[in-house]
Amino acid sequence: MTLTQARPKRAAAPREKARGGGRFRRGEWVGYAFLSPALLLFLAFVAGPFVVAIVLAFFSWDMLTPAEFNGVGNFTEMFSDPLLYTALANTFVFAFASVVTHLGGGLLLAMGVNRMMNRALSYFVRTTLFFPFVISWAAVALLWKYVLDPTFGLVTHYAGEIGVQPPEWFTDPAWALPAIIAIDFWHTIGFTFVIMLAGLQTVPRELHEAARVDGARPYQVFWRVTLPMMSPTIFFAAVVTFIGAFQIFDPVQIITPDGGPDDSTITIVMYLYQKGFQSFQIGYAAAVSILVFVIMMAVTLLQFWGSRKWVHQQ
Amino acid sequence: MGWVGPGGMSRRQVLRSLGAAALAAPAAGSLAACGGSGSGDSSSLDLVYLGDATQQEAFNALFAEFNKSRPKVKIKARGIAAETWGNFANTVSTQIAGGKVPDIVQVATEGQRLFASKSLLEPLDPYLDRDRKVVEDYFGDTDPKLKEWTETYGSTDGKTYFIPGGYNTSVLYCSTKVFADAGVDLPEDGWTWDDFRAAGERIKSRTGAFLLPAGFAFPFLDIMPWLLTNGASTHNAAWDEATFDSPAAVEAAEFVKGLIDDGLSPKPGGDFNAAAQVQKGRLATFGAGRWATLDMRRLKLTDSVRIVPWPSNAEPGASVGWDGWPILRASKNKDAAWEFLKWMMSKEASAFYASAGGTNIPARNSVAASPAFTDDAPAGTENLPAALGYGTPIPSPERGAEAQAAITQGWQAAITGNQSAEEALGSANGKLSGLL
Repeated sequence: MTLTQARPKRAAAPREKARGGGRFRRGEWVGYAFLSPALLLFLAFVAGPFVVAIVLAFFSWDMLTPAEFNGVGNFTEMFSDPLLYTALANTFVFAFASVVTHLGGGLLLAMGVNRMMNRALSYFVRTTLFFPFVISWAAVALLWKYVLDPTFGLVTHYAGEIGVQPPEWFTDPAWALPAIIAIDFWHTIGFTFVIMLAGLQTVPRELHEAARVDGARPYQVFWRVTLPMMSPTIFFAAVVTFIGAFQIFDPVQIITPDGGPDDSTITIVMYLYQKGFQSFQIGYAAAVSILVFVIMMAVTLLQFWGSRKWVHQQ
Repeated sequence: MGWVGPGGMSRRQVLRSLGAAALAAPAAGSLAACGGSGSGDSSSLDLVYLGDATQQEAFNALFAEFNKSRPKVKIKARGIAAETWGNFANTVSTQIAGGKVPDIVQVATEGQRLFASKSLLEPLDPYLDRDRKVVEDYFGDTDPKLKEWTETYGSTDGKTYFIPGGYNTSVLYCSTKVFADAGVDLPEDGWTWDDFRAAGERIKSRTGAFLLPAGFAFPFLDIMPWLLTNGASTHNAAWDEATFDSPAAVEAAEFVKGLIDDGLSPKPGGDFNAAAQVQKGRLATFGAGRWATLDMRRLKLTDSVRIVPWPSNAEPGASVGWDGWPILRASKNKDAAWEFLKWMMSKEASAFYASAGGTNIPARNSVAASPAFTDDAPAGTENLPAALGYGTPIPSPERGAEAQAAITQGWQAAITGNQSAEEALGSANGKLSGLL
C-alpha cells in the first residue's frame, strides 16, 4: 500500500518541472505574492527591530556617541535595580486586575445586553459601552484628570454634595494605581464586551432549551452550558487583555508622569521609556524590552497550557 | 526665537512641554550619529523648531520676513507640534535617522550643555569674529547675564555654540478683580511670603477664591521660584552638587504645603485651566512666563490682570530659561545658517517676532521695553524682563530628565504630606547626587 501510494508522487515531480513549476508550484507563487506585502512589513517593522533590539541589548549606546559592546552588563545592571522590581510588581498588579475586571465585567455586560428584548435599546447600549474605546488614550487621560481633580473635578464636587471626601486619587500612593485601573476599565471594557457578546451569541439556543427541559436551574444553565461554550471566547479575551494590560503606558505617563507618588504607578513599559528616552540608555532599554517579551511569552504560553484544562473545544 | 513657553497652549500644556526639555538635546544629538546634512542645497536652510499651530503662525511670519530681506536663502522650516520637548526631540531624532538632518535646531536651556558636549555643533566663534559689528550691536542691547550664562552652561570647551534667543522668567499673574473684591492691595515693589499668605487668607475669606495653584510637575514654576526666593536651589551654581535638601529648601516646601493644608491653594494632582479659573474669579494668582500673556489676550483678560514679582522670603528670585540657536556641525549650509542667526540678532527680527505673538521675552532690552512687547499686555509686563536681573538659570545638568523626575517626585511627596519635607527632599537629593 505504501509503495503504490509513493509511486505516483515520485512520478509527478518531472511533470511539474516540465510545466515550469521549479521549486514552487504555480499556485504557491501566487500565494507568496499575496503574502509578500504583509511579510515585508512584518520583516521591516517587527522581526527586524526585534533582532536589532536583541543585538542592542548587549551594547551601551546613548544615540549620541558610537555604541560600545557591553556583554551582559545591561542585564546585570537591570536585575540589580530595585525600581525594575517595583515596575514589574505594579505591572502584574495592573494586568491581573485588568484581566479579572474585564472578563467579569465584559461577560456580565454582554449577558445583560444579550437579554435585552428591545432591539433599538440594545444597539444604543452596545454603542454607548463601546464608545470610550474609540477615544484616544491621551484624551481619556486628560479627561479623567479633569474629572478627578481634587479641587475642581466633577467627582470631588458631587461627592462633596453628599458629604463624602474622596481620596486624592493621583497623589496618594495607595490610590494612584487603583484609579488608573478604574480608568483603564472605563476605556477598554467596550472591547471585551463586544468580544463576549459575539461569543455569547454563538452558543446554540437548543443547548439552553435542552438543559431547561432536563430541569436545570438558571445558574446551572450558565455554569454548565453557557460558560463552557463561551470558554474559547473567554480564553481569547484573557490572552489579549493580558498582553494589552502588560504594555500599559499612555495613561500612566500622562496622568502620573515620572512614576507617580512614591513610584506607585511606574509600569515596566514606562520604566523602559524612562531608560530609553529620558536617560538615553538605549542598550539598557533594549534589554528591558527583551525581558518584557520573555515575560509576555511565558505568561501567554502558560495561559495556552492551562487552557487545555478548562477551554471547551467544540 | 527665544526661550519657549510655548504660546497658545494652556498652562498645563506648557508645564508638560517644558518639563521634558532636557530630552531635546539627546534626541537631536542622534543627528551626529546619523551622518551628514540632508539638504546640501546651498540656497536652502533646514530649520526645526517646536511649535503648535499658533506658534507656527508666528514663526512662519518671521521666516517670511527673513526671506524678504534674504531672498536667496530659502528657509524650509519644520514646526513640530509636539506637546512636550521630549516628543519634539523624539520626532527630530527619528527624522534625522531617516536622513533629514537640519541645519539649525531650536534648543531649550535644559538641552544646551548636553548638546554642546557631544560634538554635534559647529563653533560659532569664527562667525562671531567675522561679523563683530552685528554681534556687538546685539549683545550691547542684551543683558550681559544672558551671554555669560550661554557661555557658561552652553559650552564645555570654551567655544561658543549658541546664539541666545529670547528668554522667560517666572512671575505671578494676579487678578486685579479678585484682589479688589477682597480689598487687598497688590504690591508695588515686591512682597514677602508673609504678605502673600496674608493676602491669600483675606481673599479666601472674602471671596472664596484660591490664592495660587501649587503643583509639582513643572519645576520652572512649581518648585524653583519658591526655592530661589528663599535662597535655595536644587543644585549649586555650577550644577555639580545637589542642594535640594538644604534647610531653606525644606522651609520652602513646608510653606507651600501650608498653603495647600490651609485651603489657600487647590490640592495638586488633577488638572484645571488656571487662566479660566482666574476668568471665573475663583483663582487670584498663577505663576507663568510671557506665554500666559497670549492666554490673557485670548480670554480678553489683559486689562484685569497684573504681573508682579514672585513673593520672597530671603531674597528676590525667579527661574530663567532661554533659547539657544546653534548650527549643526553636519550642516552643509553653514554660511546660510549663519545668515539666518545673524538676522535673528537684528532689532528688526526681534521686534517683528514680539509683535507677531512671540511667547518669550525678547533678548534685546530695547525691544523688551518697546510697544512691540508691551502693547496689549497686562500691566506690570516690565516685571518679566526685570526678573532677569535677579533670576537664576534653571539648573540643567546633563542627565536633566532623570534629575527632573527626582525633583518633582520629592517635591510632590513633600507638599502632599506623603512624607515629611525633610525626608522627601533628602531622598530626592540622594537621587540627584547619584546622577551627577
